[in-house]
Amino acid sequence: MISNLAVAFLNAVVWGLIMALIALGLNMIFGLLHIINMAHGALYMLGAVVAWYLIEFTGNFWIALVVAPLFVALVGILMEKGLLRSIEDKPITTIICTFGIMLVIQQLVLTIFGGSPRRIAAPIPYRFQLFQLQYPLMRVVVAIISILVMVGLWFFLRKTKYGLWMRAVVQDREMAVGLGIPVNKVYMWTFILGSALAAFSGVLAAPIVSVDFMMGREVLIMAFIIVIVGGMGNLEGSVIAAIMISMIQGIGALFVPPAIATVFALAFMIIVLLFRPQGLFGE
Amino acid sequence: MFLHKGKSFGFILIFSLILFIFIALPFFIDLFYQTFLTELFVWILFAISFDLIFGYTGLLSFGQALFFGLGSYTVTISILKMGLNTELALLLSIIIPMIFSWFVGYFSVKLSGIHFVIITIIFALIGNIIGETWTAFTGGSDGLTFSPPPFRLGLFKVNLIDIKGNYYFVLALVALSYLFLRRMVQSPLGKVFISIRENEDRARLIGYNVQRYKLIAFLIAGGLSGLAGGLYSLTLKYAAASYLHWSISGHAVVYTIVGGMGTLMGPVLGAGIVMSLEHYLVNFLQATDLVVGIVLVFMVLMAPKGLVGLIQSKLKRKEASA
Repeated sequence: MISNLAVAFLNAVVWGLIMALIALGLNMIFGLLHIINMAHGALYMLGAVVAWYLIEFTGNFWIALVVAPLFVALVGILMEKGLLRSIEDKPITTIICTFGIMLVIQQLVLTIFGGSPRRIAAPIPYRFQLFQLQYPLMRVVVAIISILVMVGLWFFLRKTKYGLWMRAVVQDREMAVGLGIPVNKVYMWTFILGSALAAFSGVLAAPIVSVDFMMGREVLIMAFIIVIVGGMGNLEGSVIAAIMISMIQGIGALFVPPAIATVFALAFMIIVLLFRPQGLFGE
Repeated sequence: MFLHKGKSFGFILIFSLILFIFIALPFFIDLFYQTFLTELFVWILFAISFDLIFGYTGLLSFGQALFFGLGSYTVTISILKMGLNTELALLLSIIIPMIFSWFVGYFSVKLSGIHFVIITIIFALIGNIIGETWTAFTGGSDGLTFSPPPFRLGLFKVNLIDIKGNYYFVLALVALSYLFLRRMVQSPLGKVFISIRENEDRARLIGYNVQRYKLIAFLIAGGLSGLAGGLYSLTLKYAAASYLHWSISGHAVVYTIVGGMGTLMGPVLGAGIVMSLEHYLVNFLQATDLVVGIVLVFMVLMAPKGLVGLIQSKLKRKEASA
């Protein structure tokens, strides 16, 4: 029992950190551009698929972990500059547009990559003893990498010029324009970062889950839940909410069927939406 | 006044003409295309009911799949497991989704904008998970098959196992629903819906209970989505949990955007064009939704008022130059 609980706990932490990265990307784009990016899950999936190809060619997971997000970031630039720029001030229209983009990405992958799921082998195959069970070391490494990325993001937002600009635009867009901040550039960088984060978590998740063209669909909904529970535009809130929800789901699934655990998580979210639309941790 | 009469005369003319074509069509096409058209009618009904809440009232609901799936399951389960007759099952496929849409709507209309979109997705997702999990009742992702017993409707004997009979039955109900919705959006009630879409605060300041009117629109759309689901199951003799998935609502979104929202005629046109396109593409492309997605993105960016909007602006330009 204790070892099952320990494994469930570790899994929940690892998955919570991956979900936090995804939700951070979604939330940054929302907080700045007020766009609900329905294609975010598809970008996560695209990251994993591109990584699969890169690993086929180079045989190296770590190259894929760096290159796949760069590739997806490029897709993000195309999305933002080519498609969304002209409708950025209409939230409902952008939802429909990104829904269309989600379809396009999913179906393109289905055409090229095929419909059957594939696996990416963990680059670190070692397992360590955890009470009576074995636990893959790779997952711990994934957790550490996620934390490092979050710390890096925090520094980027707090200590660099672009980070300062981003926060300024979130606070007051008109004022930011007035002070000479290149708002369009900031938008583009936010979108690049958000897309890259989605793809990065896709690559990190790939050795844990299987890679297929629909893998982003459920993740998108989970990311929504996290962003709403943590508060839209509240990045710290997203990280806490991601780990919290992942814990409730993971540990809850030991005692009740996972479907019921998910239904409770969703019902909880409806309550949050109705009574605290600013999120649990907002003021 | 006179202008309005002229407009509605033109509408009656075009409507009867289209209806006449569809009544005559089964004598010239084979059973495969009759089934295809029957499915098209069902999706048209789903799309125009979505147009009422999105196009007219301004509420983007991705939760309509819940009511579609509920309608489809209501028909299937009440015929298969309760042994009810077909006409009663179909009536229930309006009532039961309406009850659920009252529940969902009661909470959802308290929110607006993006929050509304997300809460409707969540409700549909809960329905989908329950449908997938409760396999003893719903058949899960394998679904349930059944065969609807024939019944009498006034002078007509309706046998839905006969493809042509099914075609006319669905056509009649969809045409009636269209007329019902058209009447509704032109009534004072419909004007309130439009005023909410245009400016919610102003509608509230004038003294309308905005949430109540949103709920009314949501109820009617929910009932008609349920009817669409019920007819879909009667056509395919099948229901599955995947009908409850929120992405099914995407169909209605695509048809409405491509055809032109807030026009009723738009979703009809959109469904016809997109479904024909898909039907044609399926011969040499596995991923037909790829083209659907491209069309959707293109229309949102280039012609947000859809095909109907494009045609209208063309006509206006002609009038202006004449």
